[in-house]
Amino acid sequence: MNFYLPIAELSVNIFVFLGMGAAVGFLSGMFGVGGGFLMTPLLIFSGIPSAVAVGTEAAQIVASSVSGAIAQYRRKNVDVKLGVVLLVGGILGSIIGVEVVKILRRIGQFDLVISLAYVTFLGAIGTLMLIESLNTIRKSRAGHVASRRSGQHSWIHGLPLKMRFNRSKLYISAIPPFVIGAFVGFLAALMGVGGGFIMIPAMIYLLRVPTNVVVGTSLFQIVFVTGMTTVLHATQNYTVDIVLALLLMTGGVIGAQFGAVAGEKLKGEQLRFLLAALVLMVCLRLAWDLVVEPSELYSISSLTGGH
Amino acid sequence: MGWIRAAVSAVAVLVLGIATPVAHAALEGTVATEQVEVDVSSRSVAVTSGFNGTELVVFGSVANSRQDSPESGYYDVVIVVEGVMSPVVARRKSSVGGLWINTASIRFGSLPSYYAIASTRPIDEIADADVRNVHRIGFSHVPMQVASKGFSSGLSQSELTAFQESVVRLKRKDGLYISEDYSVAFIGRSLFRAAIGLPANIPVGPVTARVYLFRSGAMLSTADVTVALTRQGLDRYLHTMSKSQPLLYGLLCVALAVGAGMLGSTLFRKGSH
Repeated sequence: MNFYLPIAELSVNIFVFLGMGAAVGFLSGMFGVGGGFLMTPLLIFSGIPSAVAVGTEAAQIVASSVSGAIAQYRRKNVDVKLGVVLLVGGILGSIIGVEVVKILRRIGQFDLVISLAYVTFLGAIGTLMLIESLNTIRKSRAGHVASRRSGQHSWIHGLPLKMRFNRSKLYISAIPPFVIGAFVGFLAALMGVGGGFIMIPAMIYLLRVPTNVVVGTSLFQIVFVTGMTTVLHATQNYTVDIVLALLLMTGGVIGAQFGAVAGEKLKGEQLRFLLAALVLMVCLRLAWDLVVEPSELYSISSLTGGH
Repeated sequence: MGWIRAAVSAVAVLVLGIATPVAHAALEGTVATEQVEVDVSSRSVAVTSGFNGTELVVFGSVANSRQDSPESGYYDVVIVVEGVMSPVVARRKSSVGGLWINTASIRFGSLPSYYAIASTRPIDEIADADVRNVHRIGFSHVPMQVASKGFSSGLSQSELTAFQESVVRLKRKDGLYISEDYSVAFIGRSLFRAAIGLPANIPVGPVTARVYLFRSGAMLSTADVTVALTRQGLDRYLHTMSKSQPLLYGLLCVALAVGAGMLGSTLFRKGSH
């Protein structure tokens, strides 16, 4: 059954995108990740213009994060004050990111930048996760983590504008969470991701936020930043396809439920190994397209930048 | 004033009475010129959420046809169906430090977003290049005016040609530029028809079908008809809203996302307990 997407201006088989939403939803439920970093490349591979993929995925992340954020909030696992600092940075980052997308589309380099960004982040994170999970599986301890922690600790405590974050039991400068939030907001707008994969490690290792509030606070920021990003993409780039978003959300919500059940049956390190392998596969696929001479050197678009 | 009207009528009768036999004599004595007439199966096509392409039947007839049978091949008919004119940016990749990136681009101001040719036989057999060029018949005669050049302003003529060819090649790959020889068939001495596919990805806007009647390489007559290709229903509503009220549209997307996420978790909680 085909459906015409009003913004992407394509006729697509709805079952393909429902299935894609379900598959990524399953994985995100299983691994406890947002899934944007898998969904956006998949959408691009399947012929959705990359700018529409990014804009639409922002809306889908709102749907996949909102229930988790509310559940975490009810369990008092959200440091609202820290979340707001991350959010203020995130909104600034998102505004800049959406403008950057606009400029890159006009000069015809958006596809390149998004590919490079994905190859870089997926490559780095996939490799780190793979090493970490293999080490855990071998039951050997990773000693480098401790040394990095203490190294970052000192300079962050020297920064001004200190604030007290009661829930996180922290008294630190507002600058690092603001910068982390801004960076994540920028990536959210540019790459169509939630940014949890950057924010969670940054909160744990750089800010030393207790692990029980990390996920909740991160989800709190992601819901609002991706919501803001959706609105900005809709108003600045006209690249949010509501029909496509609805297909992905429907599939995603259903898939996530089954994924969560499947995730409980696998060990943490096995899950991380599988996720790392998946991330590296997507990374290699994108890298391949950048490096190998394309069979068609020319491309055309009706887009001239700005309406 | 009655006498004036009477006088005018009298003159009219006189003029017509003289003119009519003269006209008949001209028709019988010399050659009755062929006139082509055209229409389409549907003057308006709705692009709705369920739009998956459609087929447009273009049919027409040759008034004063002088061919004996549909198979005689006395006339050649070329049908050109053009979609809305729109600008196109063409880009070319080259290898920079091991990465394939866009390094040159050209903006063509306005070219048909969709272009289909149907004919009784290959168009290069029907008319020569000059005639085809005048009437914009054939992919190589599609107007492509360069509006601006990006990155490299010093493109040579051969590079420009390569860009123009790439546009046609990519449009053909997308199914938006179509060419079918032998797809126009005469059904009677004067009636002909052709089925033209309007693909699902055809840009929305007026579509014009032009018919050319040829005899021995010379164009005898032409006619055209316009098909309105418009968005309808939910698709029209959403598309219009996204352009005219983008803030509201964006907020609607977010509200929908929040609703979907909440509904999903509520359903799951009920299901698991």
